[in-house]
Amino acid sequence: MTRPLEALGVTRRYGARAVVEDVSLSLAPGEITALLGGSGAGKSTLLRLLAGLEPVEAGEIRLGDQVLSAPGRTLPPERRRIGMIFQDFALFPHLTAERNVAFGLKHLSRVEANARIDHWIGLLGLTHRAGAFPHELSGGEQQRVAIARALAPQPDAILMDEPFSGLEPALSGSVRTAALAAVRAAGIPALMVTHDPAEALESADRIAILSAGHLLQSGAPEQVYTRPATLAAARALGPVNVIARALLPIAWQNLVSGAGALVGFRPEALRLDPAAPVRLLVTRRRLTGPLVRLTLEGQGLELEALLPLGPDPAPGEETGVTLAPGAAFTFASGET
Amino acid sequence: MELRASAFSAPVFRQLPVLLAGLVIALPVAVVLVTGLVDGGGAAWTHIRETLLLRYLGGTLSVLVLTAMLCLLMGVPAAWLVTMFRFPGRGAFEWLLVLPLAAPGYVLAYAWSDLAGVAGPLQSALREATGWSARDYWFPDISSLPGLSFVLACTLYPYVYLTARAAFISQSVCTMEAARSLGAGAARTFWSVALPAARPAIAAGLALALMEAAADYGAAEFLGVPTLTFGIVRAWKSFGEPAAAARLAFVLLALILTFVLVERRARGRSGTQQSSIRWRQISRVTLTGPAAWSASALCAALFTLAFALPVGRLAWRSLESGARNAPISDAVINSLLLAGAGATFAFVLALIIALSIRGKGPVATFARIAASSGYAIPGAVLALGALAVISALPVTLSGMLALVALAWVYAVRFTAAGTEPMAAALARAPASIGHAAQSLGASPWRRTFTVDLPVAMSGAAAAALVLFVEALKELPATLMLRPFNWDTLAVRAHAYATDERLAAAALPALLITLAGLLPVILLSWQISRARPGGAA
Repeated sequence: MTRPLEALGVTRRYGARAVVEDVSLSLAPGEITALLGGSGAGKSTLLRLLAGLEPVEAGEIRLGDQVLSAPGRTLPPERRRIGMIFQDFALFPHLTAERNVAFGLKHLSRVEANARIDHWIGLLGLTHRAGAFPHELSGGEQQRVAIARALAPQPDAILMDEPFSGLEPALSGSVRTAALAAVRAAGIPALMVTHDPAEALESADRIAILSAGHLLQSGAPEQVYTRPATLAAARALGPVNVIARALLPIAWQNLVSGAGALVGFRPEALRLDPAAPVRLLVTRRRLTGPLVRLTLEGQGLELEALLPLGPDPAPGEETGVTLAPGAAFTFASGET
Repeated sequence: MELRASAFSAPVFRQLPVLLAGLVIALPVAVVLVTGLVDGGGAAWTHIRETLLLRYLGGTLSVLVLTAMLCLLMGVPAAWLVTMFRFPGRGAFEWLLVLPLAAPGYVLAYAWSDLAGVAGPLQSALREATGWSARDYWFPDISSLPGLSFVLACTLYPYVYLTARAAFISQSVCTMEAARSLGAGAARTFWSVALPAARPAIAAGLALALMEAAADYGAAEFLGVPTLTFGIVRAWKSFGEPAAAARLAFVLLALILTFVLVERRARGRSGTQQSSIRWRQISRVTLTGPAAWSASALCAALFTLAFALPVGRLAWRSLESGARNAPISDAVINSLLLAGAGATFAFVLALIIALSIRGKGPVATFARIAASSGYAIPGAVLALGALAVISALPVTLSGMLALVALAWVYAVRFTAAGTEPMAAALARAPASIGHAAQSLGASPWRRTFTVDLPVAMSGAAAAALVLFVEALKELPATLMLRPFNWDTLAVRAHAYATDERLAAAALPALLITLAGLLPVILLSWQISRARPGGAA
């Protein structure tokens, strides 16, 4: 029974301030949707609305054709069958790993429950830690217990609130891969709140960008990254060069499709070509891991370029620069 | 020069004050234990053992069991209500429910026995309303074992309330939300998540409450319930047998130790450490209709029974007597002097021990254990220890010496209560500030005086207030050690109450309670401010 989990024009206010306003978002079964936004964007609130921890003031939340939330009517979280994974894992400190997983299986017979526990504990590689209490587990193990606990009752959807930000960076990569594989395999709608664009781009099937309570854009990662609908959406996913169309070098004019008055492109869309007609001065060069970030100035422009490490010009040198075809996007003027 | 400086700050020398503080506190405790264990107990002991010991033991045990049940019933639901729900008066109840801590057990015993007596206002009102005569109905008797338990629970439940409330607040809100997302309703969330996770904190609060209950003398004596503490004072006073009293004290200490061990054991392996990274203001569920009014009524009833009614009665009685009140100015002055001396003594010891907490040596550990065991031991028992020490010296206990001995006993009993706020102040400052001072070239001594001491002093006002009021409320040790005819407020209240002159006892009892309100209000103010999760 896999049904989409949908928010239809939902609004939530704290006092006069709308924290989430008129947001519509559909979470498809088997897909992980990343909800991306800065702090205060309303990400956690939207997640809590979907979970039933807070009421909606307008709009509806539906699971398939079942209405979960509507103004004045909120199906309580314990009756929604929606699993949750929290940033701090929220394991029950007085229960062992195994008992934590068992918590949501009260409706099953003992035999069935034990089979289910063994399955999930085994699937997440926790068999040898089943009898340990949360404070005896490492961060990665706690995380996996939290995932097993949320998925064991076979929920109709799963909501994850910054599930990997509590882990140390070296660990989060491998844990994330394993964890999201388990979530994806469950074949249910999944939402992952995050403030990290790299995490969203890398692990999600869809990205929804939230800013100041409004949904800016949602779509496949590629599409949202390369064709952002607004400047804010573009910035939410990473650095972007923005210039007025009037200032665009003539050689680049025909590389830009779209009618907006502002032209944007990512730093990696710029290439060095000694023969190129557009000549810019390198004013700064900084190494960022495998890539080099150059600041380029000239012709009334200041641009950032991200290039593979290699022979590249030093600050003070002039170089020819080209723009990758099809990499630029445009916005209407005045839009932010 | 260089050499001398380093010799001066040698570890042994630095630990000397802490060692002395520990010894000063441990001495009376050790003396009582050794006397109780080694000394034969005298002729009276045979009599006490054969006729009274079981009664005393049974009395104490029954009072403790009943008090524990009442404390849990009063403290835990109230803490849950004010933490998790929104209902009329919630904000006020949150701190009002701490106030009963201000009135010592014996004061509540006087007030309640006045209220619930045959001639008291409750029974009079009942007779007036029904037209019955005094023989036509049954009314609960305060001068009974359940009555004593009720009175003790009224003043001690705030320990459970406070620790339970703190535990409910500090629990990751996410844990409760996780429980709900796993299909648990409000009731199952409370019983199988919130309550078990808060259990160690509740047990710690309950252990504190029961230690105080076991140490109570004034209420048990007044209500005529034979308990061990009551027996200890009686063995010393009526039989004139300190050795027999020490034997009883030994039994009582064994009982208290059992409590401490059981409590430690009950914590078991399961952890309560919260790994919460992010705090969120608890989103309280708003109660409506009958649920809201029931919650308000429950809290109001608790506050009324434990505080408003008995303290209001004392105030009424004092006002009623007006100028006819027996003069108590001498007792007020005596109380201030003695509590001031005891608090000063305890304050110095507490400061020394608090400052040593950073250095985790065996000496510091010893001093800390001495202080907390002193806190766990009833005043009557400590007075016995002090008496034994003094009787070994070529002096007689009178006048000034008796007052010094009393200040000593106060210090032994209450130092731990003063260490706590100062240690908390030190703990709030990161250990790295001390390291910073040392990296800037400050010697350990200089670091102690220029960094640690000023930091600890930010908790000093609270510590001094707590120590002063605890000393002011102390009854059994004061009764046993005070110089002849030298009354404090507590002694005066006790004397009047024992003479059935409750109207005269009301004013000193009320003054003690009002003084007791000061640190309790400070505490309420602190807990309402220091709320984890206040910042989103």
